Amino acid sequence: MEYFIHIGIVFFIYAILAVSLNLVVGYTGLLSLAHAAFFGIGAYATAILLTKYNINFFVSAGVGMGLAGMASLFIGIVLSKFKDDYYALASLGFNVIVCSFFINLDSITGGVIGIPGIKKPSFFGLEIHSNFAYLILALVFFVIIFLVSRFIVQSSFGRALRAIRDDENALAVFGYKVLNFKLVIFVISAMMAAIAGSLFASYITYIDPSIFTITESVFILTIIILGGLSSLRGSLLGALFLILLPEYLRILGLPNDTAAQVRQIIYGLALIFLMLYRPKGLVGEYEMK
Amino acid sequence: MDMLTQIIFNSLIAGAIYALVALGFNLIYGATKFFNFAHGSIAIAGGYATFYFNKILGVDVYLSVLLGILCAGFLGYISNKLVFSPLRKKKSSHMIFMVASLGILIVIQAVISLIFTSEFQTLSSSLASSKKYIFLTGIITKTQLILFLSVLLIMGLLVLVLKKTMLGKTISAISDSEEIARNIGINSNRVISYVFVIGSAIAGVAGIFVGFDTGISPTMGMSLLLKGVIASIIGGVGNVYGGVLAAFMLGLIENFGVWNFSGEWKDAISFAVLILFLLFRPQGMFGKK
Repeated sequence: MEYFIHIGIVFFIYAILAVSLNLVVGYTGLLSLAHAAFFGIGAYATAILLTKYNINFFVSAGVGMGLAGMASLFIGIVLSKFKDDYYALASLGFNVIVCSFFINLDSITGGVIGIPGIKKPSFFGLEIHSNFAYLILALVFFVIIFLVSRFIVQSSFGRALRAIRDDENALAVFGYKVLNFKLVIFVISAMMAAIAGSLFASYITYIDPSIFTITESVFILTIIILGGLSSLRGSLLGALFLILLPEYLRILGLPNDTAAQVRQIIYGLALIFLMLYRPKGLVGEYEMK
Repeated sequence: MDMLTQIIFNSLIAGAIYALVALGFNLIYGATKFFNFAHGSIAIAGGYATFYFNKILGVDVYLSVLLGILCAGFLGYISNKLVFSPLRKKKSSHMIFMVASLGILIVIQAVISLIFTSEFQTLSSSLASSKKYIFLTGIITKTQLILFLSVLLIMGLLVLVLKKTMLGKTISAISDSEEIARNIGINSNRVISYVFVIGSAIAGVAGIFVGFDTGISPTMGMSLLLKGVIASIIGGVGNVYGGVLAAFMLGLIENFGVWNFSGEWKDAISFAVLILFLLFRPQGMFGKK
């Protein structure tokens, strides 16, 4: 049972990451490879505030969101100058730069060693001890983020985003401030990723910079491409599939290290085959242009 | 020994490696117009192939280097044959090419880790690396000297091939416009296949030299590639000489930056330079608007 609870928590965390990235990549057509950076900002905010200052988890998550929001606003403004492959490359660059901060500001981030011993959240003086309670917490956050995302996607704002994706110039001609739309969605998405980071840090209780590298950004991108761009349901499907994948491999009885590599090979091949035969993903509604 | 001279030497060595990656990347980008993320992992695969022949099978060093280069070229050939060529037939967008190349990168990286573990491997003891020359006021090893001279040699050869041979002229015709090249009867598929082989083989040389100089690990491909990409963007994408010059410049900036800050900032520095260039001089140092 504990085992399924663990899988459930990890699934909710990655579902939050996938849904939020899909808002930017799938709905707005901006191929961002910086998502792990915002995930990391949330995780570090919670880790530092919880271990060093003994601050409440929910406050730390709020601080993480705020920091990720500010960072993404700045990054988003710079990225708005770029298109397509240059956008992807520059966003990847920002992920590397944010990671360097995690590594180099060692007096507060613990450098390459990271931060161990992160506490579980407490709720009105009640500490969340059991994993089951944590599952409920992750579920609540996930449901809120999913509903907010669905609301955004179905609103007129969301329609404007899809229009930007399909023909930015046409929308600009109609007097829409395209830049503002792109910035708002980029910041919202980053703040959601920060929440996933806060949940991750206090659940795993140990973080270090190697978790939030570009490999992680590519992994989250793989989830949404597999599930399908521009489909929130697809992101859940993709997350479920790729989170369960290492578990299947464990059933096959591969040693841990080998299993990790085999998992990488499978998700690399998945990307290649999807691009060759089904660029829309499993249930996606939009194909990259 | 003088610090300044030593930093300049280190910069030249780093620059030479980046220049090789940029050369191959530029060649492939010119003909295909997409960011080939697989390029860096193919470079590293070349290094590992040499390691395998020399250290595990005990083949002669120079022969191993040659075999390593051939392996890298072969990987370039099959990645084009199995993935990029079919995508070209489907007229897929550049973003799809890019995501597929990310998939190839992940697969190659994981396969290398499976075979050789993720630990650092070095080629150095097999090529009289103990021999050091004191030149001006810095130290340069024999390996580094050979590396530096071979970069100049390869660059010279490549320029000769591009300018003087029929193959070179067809490559530049395809780089200008694949459609026109096809219309005047150039077999563009075959030429692009050559480009992949040559470009990847040159990348393989870079990977092998990294193996001799500092040692290689499976995940180094990404950062190696990014340095090459950054150099070719600063030098003006598609500009062979510009890319090489920019690679040396990047080596200098990085090494001086590291001298001032610390080693871990290296990647962040090169990305900051890239983003500044993309913002203020997207056509590169030598490009025309």
